[in-house]
Amino acid sequence: MAIKRLFIANRGEIALRIVRAAQALNIETVLAVSDPDRDSAAAQLADRTIVIGPASATKSYLDPRLIVHAAKESGCDGLHPGYGFLSERAILPTLCHAHGIAFVGPEPEVIDALGDKLRARAMAGAAGVPLVPGSDCVASAADARREGDRIGYPVLLKASAGGGGRGMVIANNAEEAEAGFHRASAEAVAAFGDGTLFMERFVPEARHVEVQLMGDGRGNVLHFGERDCSVQRRYQKLVEEAPCAAMPDHLRKQLHESAVALAASVNYRNAGTCEFLFDVKRQEFYFIEVNARIQVEHPVSEMISGFDLVQEQIRIAGGAGLSVSQDQVKLTGHAIECRINAEDVARDFLPSPGRITRWQPPQGDGIRLDSHMTQGAMIPPFYDSMVGKLIVHGSDRADAIARLSAALDAFVVEGVPTTIDLHREIVAHPDFIENHIHTRWLEQVLLPERAKRAA
Amino acid sequence: MAEPVFSSALQTLMEEFSRSGVRELHVRSGDFELYLSSDPAASRVAVGQGGPARPKEPRPPQAVAAENPVQAPVAGNALPADAIIIRAPNLGTFYRAPKPGAANYVEIGSKISVGDEVCLIEVMKLFTAVRADGAGKVHAILAEDGAMVEAGQPLFAVVRE
Repeated sequence: MAIKRLFIANRGEIALRIVRAAQALNIETVLAVSDPDRDSAAAQLADRTIVIGPASATKSYLDPRLIVHAAKESGCDGLHPGYGFLSERAILPTLCHAHGIAFVGPEPEVIDALGDKLRARAMAGAAGVPLVPGSDCVASAADARREGDRIGYPVLLKASAGGGGRGMVIANNAEEAEAGFHRASAEAVAAFGDGTLFMERFVPEARHVEVQLMGDGRGNVLHFGERDCSVQRRYQKLVEEAPCAAMPDHLRKQLHESAVALAASVNYRNAGTCEFLFDVKRQEFYFIEVNARIQVEHPVSEMISGFDLVQEQIRIAGGAGLSVSQDQVKLTGHAIECRINAEDVARDFLPSPGRITRWQPPQGDGIRLDSHMTQGAMIPPFYDSMVGKLIVHGSDRADAIARLSAALDAFVVEGVPTTIDLHREIVAHPDFIENHIHTRWLEQVLLPERAKRAA
Repeated sequence: MAEPVFSSALQTLMEEFSRSGVRELHVRSGDFELYLSSDPAASRVAVGQGGPARPKEPRPPQAVAAENPVQAPVAGNALPADAIIIRAPNLGTFYRAPKPGAANYVEIGSKISVGDEVCLIEVMKLFTAVRADGAGKVHAILAEDGAMVEAGQPLFAVVRE
């Protein structure tokens, strides 16, 4: 049954994005808002808004009972969770199903299974997806040397009982593996009372690549190509692009097939992303995890495919099959997205809420801006600091970079500090232009260079 | 005006104002002037950036809750200036009685003290009693029994005796 009235359990740019997608499908929209979000851009566009609670997210956007109660009482037959908040909490689809509301996402059992690292890894292994080479328990220094030789250096020795980096040692060769065993094991005994270790391959300069998936829940799964999200700070993505230009075509094909095989093996329904670590030196990729939601960076895949993923999500949740076949998904050109945050980069990326006094986004061919901001809009201090996503599409990576550079230069925001300047520096950096980056590049190269200049 | 601290102070002030039940606030200091009003018919516009946080006029796909206070069963037209407004602490279904068939917690004219239970708010079969945060006589009941109310929505107006 196609959804007639959609409840949107989110805020910010993604709430606006979902309202627009629903309206394009002639679906009525009811938006949940917290008290300070009453006048948000999404609230102004939605057919109806319902104030579900105060500013505190735990008493509003993070309370599944309030959300489903409001959805039910407002006569909604579908619910879109967006990303973040409750989007990957099985309780939300469980409550939706109990009240006859179609959840825009996977089944709760699938969310739970994929959310458990060990179960997800086992499912990936069973579907033939490459996993990071590693060992079982390592009991002695001799074992560590033998396993290290087999896995290939550098390796990471980790405490089985571990966490937080304690009992963790990197070994670059057999001697370091033996010495590392003694050190890591002693640390693990001291920290956890258990010296059991295991080992896995350490990739010092890895890229983060991920495949956009869409399943119908009946075993049919499409991919919309991969994204490269290697510009990160503390595991937070800042820049995402599609395709991953550093990956050769034969590997790309294997990557897509692996991701589709995993999703098909669980009859995955709706949008999801399979994340991988790409070891450029070895030309191998390994499974990280599956994100069972639409992601922040989905627009880069939309730009290269010309396909609206959020509309497809809503159609599938309403019971429709996939609206295209894999050979109808044509990926062209190159797209790059910058996440613009209201943060003070010079003060360790301090979130800086406040009022936008000037908002002058770039316009032009191949430029897309997903944002809920306008001149005079308030960024409340209670939620994340993202003010928008600037996305460009070019004929190839160099063309996309040129467009992005011009778009960033034309982007004027006043009232709060933003990361726009940092993005200008990233995009102008020779390492970025030549595509010699990895997941720790921003923290190990660009930010230290920046700090040195400022000193 | 670009100072974020100032902006967030204003935002906080507006939120506090909208919760307080105070109907008008007018501040003038040097060349700074601020006028906040909870009356939709206020003839003056707010000075400075952004008006008071007021819920937008709902365009419900279907009639659900009695949203507008003036349509609720009110004895008399306008609320007295010093009325205390008891608001919904969270979204949920508004029930005036502890259980079906039982007498309502309060009626118009009932005298209440701080801490008295005045209604229930139900979310997914979980019932929470709302307690009066002011004492006096119930002057008006501003929401419809059995309807969904939103967080912060006015439920009762109480006048001091």
